[in-house]
Amino acid sequence: MSGPVHPLTEAQSGLWYAQRLAPGNPLFNTGQYIELTGPLDLPAFEAALAQGVAEAASLSLRMEETPAGPVQRVLHEARPHLHIIDVSAAPDPLAAAQADIARDMAIPVDPTRDPLAGERLFILGPRRFVWQQRIHHLAIDGYGMILLTQRVAELYNARLRGTPQGNPLPGLGVVLAEDAAYRGSPKREQDAAFWGALFADRPDVASLAPGAPVSAAQFHRRAVEIDAATFARLRALAERIAIPWPDVLTALAGAYVRRHTGTPEVILGVPFMARLGSAAARVPAMLMNVLPLRLAPDEDAPLDEMLAQAAKAFTRARRHGRYRSEQLRRDLKLIGGQRRLHGPLVNILPFDETPRFSGLETRLEVLSTGPVEDITFTFRLHGTEGLRLEVDANPDLYTIGEVEAHTARLSTFVATCLTARRLADVPTATMAEARRYLFEVNDTTRPVPDVTLSALIEAGLARTPDATAVRFNGGTIDCATLEARSRALAGQMVRAGVGRGSIVAIALPRSLELIVALLAVLRAGAAYLPLDLSHPDERLARILSSAEPVLALALPQERPRFGRVPVLAPDDWESRPGEATLPIAQPDDAAYVIYTSGSTGEPKGVVVEHRAIVNRLEWMRVHYGFDASDRILQKTPMTFDVSVWEFFLPFISGASLVVAPPEAHRDPRAIATLIREEGVTTAHFVPSMLAAFLAEPAAKGVRLARVFCSGEELPAELRDRFHRTVVAELHNLYGPTEAAVDVSYWPASAEDASHPVPIGFPVWNTRLYVLDDANRPQPPGVAGHLYLAGVQLARGYLGRPDLTAERFVPDPFVPGERMYKTGDLASWRSEGAVVYLGRSDHQIKIRGLRVELGEIEAAVMSAGLVRQAAIIAREDQPGAQRIVAYVVADGAPDIERLRAHVAARVPDYMVPSAFVALEALPVTSNGKLDRSALPAPDFAGTGGRHPATATERRLAELFAEQLGVSDEMSAEDDFFSLGGDSLQAVALLLRVRELFGHDPGLGALFSHPSIAALAALIDAGEGVVEAGLDPLITLIEGAPDLPPLFAIHPAGGISWCYGRLARALQPRRTVHGLQAPALAPDVPLASSLDALAADYAARIRQVFPQGPYHLVGWSVGGILAQAVAVKLAEGGARLGVVAMLDAYPTDCWRDEPEPQEGDALKALLAIAGHDPDRLPALALNRQSVIAFLRATDSPLGTLPDAALDGVVRVVAGNSALVRGHFHTRYAGTITYFRAALDHEGTGLTPQLWAPYVGALDITDVPSLHAFLTGPEATAVIAPVLARAMERTDNKDETPCATMASPAASLSSPAPAEA
Amino acid sequence: MSIEPGDIQRIVTPAVPVTREKMRADIARMLHEDPSEIGDEDSLMDLGLDSMRAMNLVLAWSEGGLELEFAEFAENPTLAGWWALVEARQNTRNG
Repeated sequence: MSGPVHPLTEAQSGLWYAQRLAPGNPLFNTGQYIELTGPLDLPAFEAALAQGVAEAASLSLRMEETPAGPVQRVLHEARPHLHIIDVSAAPDPLAAAQADIARDMAIPVDPTRDPLAGERLFILGPRRFVWQQRIHHLAIDGYGMILLTQRVAELYNARLRGTPQGNPLPGLGVVLAEDAAYRGSPKREQDAAFWGALFADRPDVASLAPGAPVSAAQFHRRAVEIDAATFARLRALAERIAIPWPDVLTALAGAYVRRHTGTPEVILGVPFMARLGSAAARVPAMLMNVLPLRLAPDEDAPLDEMLAQAAKAFTRARRHGRYRSEQLRRDLKLIGGQRRLHGPLVNILPFDETPRFSGLETRLEVLSTGPVEDITFTFRLHGTEGLRLEVDANPDLYTIGEVEAHTARLSTFVATCLTARRLADVPTATMAEARRYLFEVNDTTRPVPDVTLSALIEAGLARTPDATAVRFNGGTIDCATLEARSRALAGQMVRAGVGRGSIVAIALPRSLELIVALLAVLRAGAAYLPLDLSHPDERLARILSSAEPVLALALPQERPRFGRVPVLAPDDWESRPGEATLPIAQPDDAAYVIYTSGSTGEPKGVVVEHRAIVNRLEWMRVHYGFDASDRILQKTPMTFDVSVWEFFLPFISGASLVVAPPEAHRDPRAIATLIREEGVTTAHFVPSMLAAFLAEPAAKGVRLARVFCSGEELPAELRDRFHRTVVAELHNLYGPTEAAVDVSYWPASAEDASHPVPIGFPVWNTRLYVLDDANRPQPPGVAGHLYLAGVQLARGYLGRPDLTAERFVPDPFVPGERMYKTGDLASWRSEGAVVYLGRSDHQIKIRGLRVELGEIEAAVMSAGLVRQAAIIAREDQPGAQRIVAYVVADGAPDIERLRAHVAARVPDYMVPSAFVALEALPVTSNGKLDRSALPAPDFAGTGGRHPATATERRLAELFAEQLGVSDEMSAEDDFFSLGGDSLQAVALLLRVRELFGHDPGLGALFSHPSIAALAALIDAGEGVVEAGLDPLITLIEGAPDLPPLFAIHPAGGISWCYGRLARALQPRRTVHGLQAPALAPDVPLASSLDALAADYAARIRQVFPQGPYHLVGWSVGGILAQAVAVKLAEGGARLGVVAMLDAYPTDCWRDEPEPQEGDALKALLAIAGHDPDRLPALALNRQSVIAFLRATDSPLGTLPDAALDGVVRVVAGNSALVRGHFHTRYAGTITYFRAALDHEGTGLTPQLWAPYVGALDITDVPSLHAFLTGPEATAVIAPVLARAMERTDNKDETPCATMASPAASLSSPAPAEA
Repeated sequence: MSIEPGDIQRIVTPAVPVTREKMRADIARMLHEDPSEIGDEDSLMDLGLDSMRAMNLVLAWSEGGLELEFAEFAENPTLAGWWALVEARQNTRNG
C-alpha cells in the first residue's frame, strides 16, 4: 500500500543532492535517545509510539529516482515499528545500549531503498529504559523531532491517565502545498532579491580553520555547561534591552568568531526553523533552513548598541528566511569546491526539548542533527534553567584539542562579554591560555655568565693558543697570533683615544685583517660599527654624523669617504702588543651598532650590549653543541647582524672560522667549493640565497653538520628541497637586529612536515608574545602582533630616544622590563612554537585572496629555467596590486615556458602578471633582497591593461556577450577563468568567425584563452584554422615537462566534453582530445574499431614521440582507450595511466538492437547537455532536434550542417564498430571510474573487463553515467586521475609491464553472458 | 493524579494570569513599538515579529505554568489567535 507520488520539497532537495554525493555518509541520520527511569507501561508506550509514528507520515517516506528528478511517496512498508531490545543482562546495560545505538547511527541509509526511520527501545532493567530514534534528515528536522517526541509523550500520558489525546499531528499535505505555493510566489522573488542584494558584493567567507567544508562520516563533540549566573545575566540583559536572549548569544558568538578570523566581518550560518506563520508549523518534517547572517560587530560601541544592531540584522534576514540557502548558493555561483556561503554555524535552541512522561524521569541525549561541514556552536536549553554549549566539528578540519579549546574559550568569552561595557574590553584567550602563552611557553630562564663578549673571546683564544683560529684564502692564523695582533691594535686604538663608550667604524673587505679589527675594537672596550662602502655617499655621511665614530678602520684609498673621521689603515697597524693595559668593558656596554633601513628610509643605528649578544652566543654554542671539530663559514656581510655569530662563535667554542673571499657570498658555485674544500660544518643562508644555492649543480650532495636560515621566511618547499639536495641539519632562526640576532629557533628537519615552517621556540632568557591590538595574549592559532622581551633586547636606536620609546615599550606582563614591537604578525601553535604570518603593515591579497609569495617562488624555481627569483606584490597604480616575478637566468629565459610552468602549479590569481628578467637581483648590503631597487615592470602586454587594439576591444565585447559579464574586462582576462565552458567557447568562435571572417579554432582558444592572446592569433591571419572538430585538438596547454593526457571521445565522436576535466587537473598538464576523423564529411568511417585505434595510436605517437602515454575515455572512449593502449604497447611504447570513465566491454552491447537514427540524435542532445529522456515531446528527427538546439541557444545548433551530419554519422558508425570489436588483452592496470548511481540491476560491472586487462583499480563516483564529465563528478575524478598520472610520471623508466600478452591476443574473448 | 517533579515549581510559583493586554504589551516591547500599534487581527509577522522573538514570548508566557506549544502559536501568528490559545489553556487549568 502506498500513497501518491510527490516531488521533493525545496528543503529536501538540497539534502537529497548532498546525500547522493556522499552516499556512504551516515551523518544524514539525525538521532536522539531518551533515558526513561521509572515504571514504564510498555503496552501504553508501544501503542503511543505506533500512533505517533503513524501520524508523522514523513517517517514512512521512500524516495525514488526518476527521469524527471527525485520523487517521494508515503510507503506503508517503510513505516518504522518499535524494536524492543533487552540488554538488562549486560554488565553495564546503559553502555551496551549506547554501543548498539552508536553502531546503528553509523549505518548510512539509502533513501531509495531503506526505511528512513528506526525506533528502538532498550530495556536496561525493570525501571530503566532507553528509547532511541533515528530519522533521516530528509524526513525531519530538529524541531520536527521535538514535535514527534512530545506527541508520543502526550499520547502515552493520555493512555495512562485516561485524558483526551489532543490534536493529531497534521499530515504532510500542508508541507507539500506550502512548498509548491512558495515556489511560484512573488514572496519568493522578493526573498531572492533581498538575499541577492545582501550578497551583491560577494564577500569573502572566513572560518576558524582552512580547508574544504565537506562533512566527514563522524564529528568531534565537546560540551560545557554555561553557569547559572551567566545564564541569568544573559536573560537579564536581554530583558533590559528587549532583544531575545538567543539573538544576544548569536551576536556574541559572531564576535567570538570574528576575533579568530581577524576579518572586519563574519558570516555565520544560523539555522532557521521556518515554521512561524506556516500551516506546516506542527508537522514533523524537514523545513529547516540555514541563513547566512553577516555580522560586523563594532568592538568599541557600547555592548547594548552592538547587540541591537546585530538583532536588527537578524530580524531582517529572518523575514526572508524561507528562501533556501542552497538556492542562494546557486544564485551566487557558490556550488562545488571550497566555496562557502557562510562560516561556522551558530544554533540556539531556547526551549526545553525533554518530553514529560507521566511517572517517569527523562533525560534527553541528542546524538546527531545532520552533517557537520565545518564547526557548529549549539546552545541548548535543558531542564528549565540549564544552558549547555555543544561544539561539533569536522574532524578533517579540527583536532579534538582545538574543539576542546573552543568549548572553553567561547563559554568564557560569552560570560565575560555579559559583564563588559563593550566587546573591546573582552579578551579572546581564557585565563589558562593567557598563562600558558605568556609564561609557560616562555619559561626560558637559564643562567649565563654575566661577562662581556671580549672576555669570552679572550678566554677562548687563551685555551687553545696553537689551534687554527681563522682560515682565509689558503692562509691561516692560530689563536695566539690572533690574540696578539688584536691586542696590539686595541692598544694602538686606546692610545688614539678609543675606550669604553666610544664607537669605531669598520669598513674592511672580508680578510684576516677584518677579524683582527673586530676583536681589537671589542678589546679596546668600544663598540664596532660595520659600514658597507658600496652604499651611496649620502647614506654613509648620515650614518657617520649620527654615530660619531672616533676612528675608522678601513683601506687607505677609502679615506675621502670618512670626512673628518680619522682612518687607521691595516698597513699602519701595530702587530706587537705594547705594555698598556686595556680598558675593561662592562656587560651593559655596547658591543656593536648596526644600522638598519627604517621603513621611512632613514637608517637607524641599533645599539646591542655585551650581555645581550653573550646570551645569544652561549645559547647557540650549547644548544647545537659547537666544539673544536666545527668549522664555521663566515660569508654574511658584516652589516647584517647574522655575521655577528659567524664572527665570534668560533672563538668562544673552540671552532675555527673559515672566511669566504669577498663577493663569494653571492656565488653559489664558489660557496659549494669552499664548503667542500675547507670542510665547513656550519653555514648560514638567507632563504632566497639558499634557493639559489640549491639550484647550483655543484651543491648536490654537499655535506655539513648544520645549516642555519634566517632573515626571510623559510618556505616549506625550500626546506624539503634542501633535504633532497644537501646532507645537513637545517635550522630556522628568527630575530630582528633589535634583539641580538635571533630570538627563536625551529629544527626544520627532513621529518618536519610543518606548513608553514614555524619560527619556533624562544631562546634562553627570552620571551615571545603574540598580542592583540589591546596588548592581550592571543590564544593558539589566532594571529596577533609579535613582541619580544628578555635579555637580548637592544639598548635602542642610537641618538633616537623618540624611535626607541615607540618600539621598545614597557612589558605589561613583567614589571620593569621592556618589550620590542617587531611589526610582524604571528600565531602560536599549541606545542609552543610561533608561526610567522607576515608583516602587519602589508598583507598581500589579490582579488581578496591571500597570496603566498613563497609558493609562487617555489613554482618559478621548480621550472629549472632560472637561477634565482624574487616574487613581490607591487602597487604601482594605487589600488591595483599586481604580482611580479623577477628572475635571473643564464642567458635570456624562456618567459612563456616559465609562465606556463607556473600557471600549472599555482592558482590563477597567483600567476605573476609580469616576469622581468634581470642580470642579478638587487640586494641590500646585508644580502637581502632590495625591493626598492626592483624596476617597475612595463605592464604593456603583461597584465591588467585595457583592451587596446581594435581586435581586443571587439573580442572583449564578445567575451562579455557570451559570458553575460558586464564588468569592464582587461586584456588578460581569461575566457575559462571567467566561467566560460567549452560549449560557450564554440559559440564564441562562431561569433569570432562572423566578425573577423575566420577563427583560430577551439584548440587555439583553449591554449590562448585571454583576450590579448586570442586577439594576437586573430590578427596573425588565417593560418591553420581548427574548427574544433579536427581529429586531434588541444583542450588545454600545461606544464611542458609533464607527459600529456589523451582523452578519447565518447560515442558522439567529439571530445570537448573533457574540457572541464582537463582544467581541473592539478598540476596542470597538456590534455589533447582525440575526435572521430569521420566528423569531416569527406572522411569515410573507419573499417573497424581496431583500425580506428591504430589510427589514434599513430596520431598520439606523432605529437608526443617519447611517451609515456596517459589515456582516458568515457563510455565508447573507454573501449577505444583500451584498444589504443594495446596498439601502443604492441609498438613497444611505455604506457602511463589508462583510465576508463564507466566503459563496458563490447560483449555487453553486441546483442542490443541496432541503433536507429533517433539514437544518434539522442546522443547529440546529450552532448549539448540535455537529457533526451526528459524531452518526450521532442520529435526525434534531424530538423526538430536542430531546431530545438537552436531555440535553446545551444552552440551545437549553430554548427555547420556538414558538422552536424558528421556527428550523426559518427554516432551511428561507432555503434557498429563497437558491436564488431573483440578485445585483445591489455596486461596493464585500468584506472576505472564507475558511475556508482547507475546500472542497478543491469549486471554491468567493471569486473566484466577482467578477461581483457591486467588489473582494475576502481573508484566509485556518486554520479549517473551521463553526468561523468559534469562538475560534481569531475571534482571526484580529477584528483584521483592526477595522482595516478603523477605516480607513473615519477616512476623511473622501468621495463613496461604493459606489453600485450601475445597468447591472450590469440585467444578469443569470452562470450557475453546473456 | 501523580505530581511530576517538573511540576513542583509550577505549583509552588503563583501563576501570574496572562491577559490579552499583557500579551499586547509584551509583543509591542519585543517589536520596540507602542501597544496601540498592535491590532488584534494584524499579522504579527508583517509587524516584524520573527520566530526567535515569537518563541521568546511563548516561553515567557509559559513561565507561569501554562503548557503552551510554540508550534500551535506558529500556525496563526495574530494577537487574536494567540489569545484564543492562551485563554483555552488557562480555562483548562482553572477548570
